[in-house]
Amino acid sequence: MNTVMTKEALEQILDQALQDVTEQTAGVRLHQGSLPLGEDLCTVHITFDKGFGTSLTLCADTSLLARMACNSFHEDVVTQEDLEEFCKEYFNVLCGKITGAMYRATKIPAHFGQPVFYRGRYEPEDQEVQFILTYSDEHSEGAQFIHHVPCTRGDGEAVLNRTGQKGV
Amino acid sequence: MSKRIMVVDDSRLVRVQMEDVLKGTDYEIAAHCRSGEDAIAQYAAIQPDLVTMDIIMQGMDGLDAAEIILKDHPEARIVMVSSLAYNDTFERAKAIGARGFVDKPFHQEQLLKVFEQALR
Repeated sequence: MNTVMTKEALEQILDQALQDVTEQTAGVRLHQGSLPLGEDLCTVHITFDKGFGTSLTLCADTSLLARMACNSFHEDVVTQEDLEEFCKEYFNVLCGKITGAMYRATKIPAHFGQPVFYRGRYEPEDQEVQFILTYSDEHSEGAQFIHHVPCTRGDGEAVLNRTGQKGV
Repeated sequence: MSKRIMVVDDSRLVRVQMEDVLKGTDYEIAAHCRSGEDAIAQYAAIQPDLVTMDIIMQGMDGLDAAEIILKDHPEARIVMVSSLAYNDTFERAKAIGARGFVDKPFHQEQLLKVFEQALR
């Protein structure tokens, strides 16, 4: 997201925020692991429109997100509308936490747009994956938290972000 | 007698979370408005003791909505509740007359402390 933070430091911020917010918001403990995702997936995505030229994506098993939504709404089942609403609010809070931590580390104020929800997997255009954090829970359901950066051009030039360098 | 809270947030989830943390306290949710425009329209009819106002919402943002409510109702007690806050956000909230600021995700202890301060 910027030139003064290493990829490892950013990964640590994302990991800590995801684990904290997931447990506090939805009562689910996620731990890093290499579990492959299933076929029924949902994705929620935000783009930084001020501060950083990057984006964050959470792609997860629908069953995991549905369970998190059920816990949060205190319901046995949730509607598609509830699932989408939960995912957007959860990701909004998660990204707010991350942005706050990034600000404390870099002093760069960032702003992101409203989270967008998709059924299935979503890959943002003109961006490439910089790193993926993979999680699973006690029910062996999984999630991938993905940091995207602007794509490298065909001539090898990086599309520059706000701070003039490609990458974190 | 319970203090009546008007929750302004575009997410139903926040209302559920607010109900959770206010259970067993002296606060009750009197209304849930899902936009700043709705909050402005309903404030006079609800006359809450306290408003919790999200900042980033579809349409009018919470800071603008709080400013309009406080212009029409200077006695209103408004606490901003948001996941995203920088110094300039705090400063603007303070400048327009908001009584406090709570980070999402919120905890009961933190929320009640800010509510008590806002109602003094």
